[in-house]
Amino acid sequence: MGSRIKTAGMIGRGRAALSRLSGILLLHVLITSAAAHGAPLPSENSSCLNCHGVRTLALRLKSGEERSLYVDAERFAQSIHGKKLLCTNCHRDIKTYPHPKRTFENLRVFTLAYYENCKGCHFDNYTRSLDSVHYTVFSKGDARAPLCVDCHGAHDVAGPRDPKSRISKTCARCHEEVYTRYAGSVHGKALLHEGNVDVPVCTDCHRSHNIEDPRTASFHLRSPSLCAACHTDEALMKKYGISTHVLRSYLKDFHGKTASFSEKTRSKRSDFTVVCTDCHGVHDIVPVVDPPLTAIKTNLVRTCRKCHDSGVESVPAAWLSHYDPTPEKAPLIYAVEAFYGIFIPILVTGFVAQILLHVWRIIVNR
Amino acid sequence: MSGNDQGYVKRFSGKQRFEHLGVLVLFIILAVTGLSQRFSGTGWADRLVFYLGGIDRARWIHRMSGVLFALIAASHLGAVVALTMMRKIPFSMIPSKKDFRDVVVMLRYSLWLSEERPLFDRYDYRQKFEYWGLILNGMVMILSGFILYFPIFLTAFLPGETVPAAILVHRDDGFAALMIMVAWHLYSAHLRPEIFPFDSSIFTGRISRARMEREHPLEPVPSLAAGEGAQPEARKVEIPEL
Repeated sequence: MGSRIKTAGMIGRGRAALSRLSGILLLHVLITSAAAHGAPLPSENSSCLNCHGVRTLALRLKSGEERSLYVDAERFAQSIHGKKLLCTNCHRDIKTYPHPKRTFENLRVFTLAYYENCKGCHFDNYTRSLDSVHYTVFSKGDARAPLCVDCHGAHDVAGPRDPKSRISKTCARCHEEVYTRYAGSVHGKALLHEGNVDVPVCTDCHRSHNIEDPRTASFHLRSPSLCAACHTDEALMKKYGISTHVLRSYLKDFHGKTASFSEKTRSKRSDFTVVCTDCHGVHDIVPVVDPPLTAIKTNLVRTCRKCHDSGVESVPAAWLSHYDPTPEKAPLIYAVEAFYGIFIPILVTGFVAQILLHVWRIIVNR
Repeated sequence: MSGNDQGYVKRFSGKQRFEHLGVLVLFIILAVTGLSQRFSGTGWADRLVFYLGGIDRARWIHRMSGVLFALIAASHLGAVVALTMMRKIPFSMIPSKKDFRDVVVMLRYSLWLSEERPLFDRYDYRQKFEYWGLILNGMVMILSGFILYFPIFLTAFLPGETVPAAILVHRDDGFAALMIMVAWHLYSAHLRPEIFPFDSSIFTGRISRARMEREHPLEPVPSLAAGEGAQPEARKVEIPEL
């Protein structure tokens, strides 16, 4: 009720007045124009376009908003579905003409009504999205949570990684502040300025459909494995001269052990331990060589202070960085390692030898 | 004690047995909670820590056991030093020239170079080695352990590098201590063919007269009948048959 096909303004657009009777004429026009761009539409689509190919075709909603019902035939033809799908493959509810009348509260309600259209083919990603933080928000009644078409588009769906930077820009439509920080980071700069696709975009860490709430303890404690996915990749890190020992040296240290043990057992925010992002930043990661070393130490002390009350000024010296100790950089550590490297094998060999000799002698004597 | 005990002599005091039992229990707890932290990321260690109630509780157990271990060590060393100074006990645990000779004799015997075997006094070189291994490793572990217990407090006085150094020391020296316990103590005190499978004397405090004469022929055997503290004459020593 209240919504009706809006026909005003159709006349004088150059495509002649549209009516149910002039459909055949338009069909010819569209086929010719589509053929001119080398992308013929599946024949069924063309009959829909009789009406939906008209730019001004729109639906007036209860809220007074207007929902365009125009489909750009050319853009659809170029979309990833262009050569594969008929209109009714997605719009399954449309079986008759004239279409059954439907009324919509507002634009968002309109989008929501067609929310499950993609599910027919993309059931895997649909199911994954039910596990996402977006769906959690959605199920609590927040209609702003993104649906398939909000990220992918509707008739103009393209490969999401085409190009890779498009992914981050898609998220930026809602998460603008995070995007700005990301754009200034070592990863963001490389992607946006150099077109470097080695670096992560939003979905590489947050995943795409089953996006987890990053504020939970389990995400926090598991986050080192996200960084490690690339930062332990020998071939990839070699390109940039970055050490791949970062994860190993983190896990060997107190906080790393805490994180790896408590992944499953901790849930309270107060129980969090230091992970990669606590020192290096989350979205605004900069290269460690960028600020002078003193700046890193200042950062580190600030990071320590988040959990430890006092006396932390001297603590950064206790952190040997992610690199293996050398005689020049950490003589004490190097000496300790060298000492036990010799002492323990000698000790164990001696023990084993004396046991074997003793047993042998006793047994033979008997 | 009943008449059955005629074949036994007293070898360890109640305090010694208590210290041994305490160290034994604490050592096992420390080794289990310590090794599972050392080998984090492997299935068994993660599972063990999970069953202990999480890493925080595992660390708490480890630290409390460490503190108790340190208390036993301090009371033992304090008593030993005080009593030795007061000349109430002999220097029976100090390695002597004879101990080093015994090592050589034993080595020659083990390598088939001679048929002579050393004769031992109250404590033989194996037990002394183990005692000092425990004392020295214990002190290293206690010291490095306390650095790791209070790193922020202690780095106010110590250079920062001591913390990662303490981690390494604690890890490697703990392993050395474990090796001394498993490969040396368990073998030489319990599992070696002469004793196998188990020597109960440190738990009961008594040792059979026969074993005493066989294994510690040089020690004067106190007679139970004569009461504690009686100092019998040194015996004539015979080379025992094995």
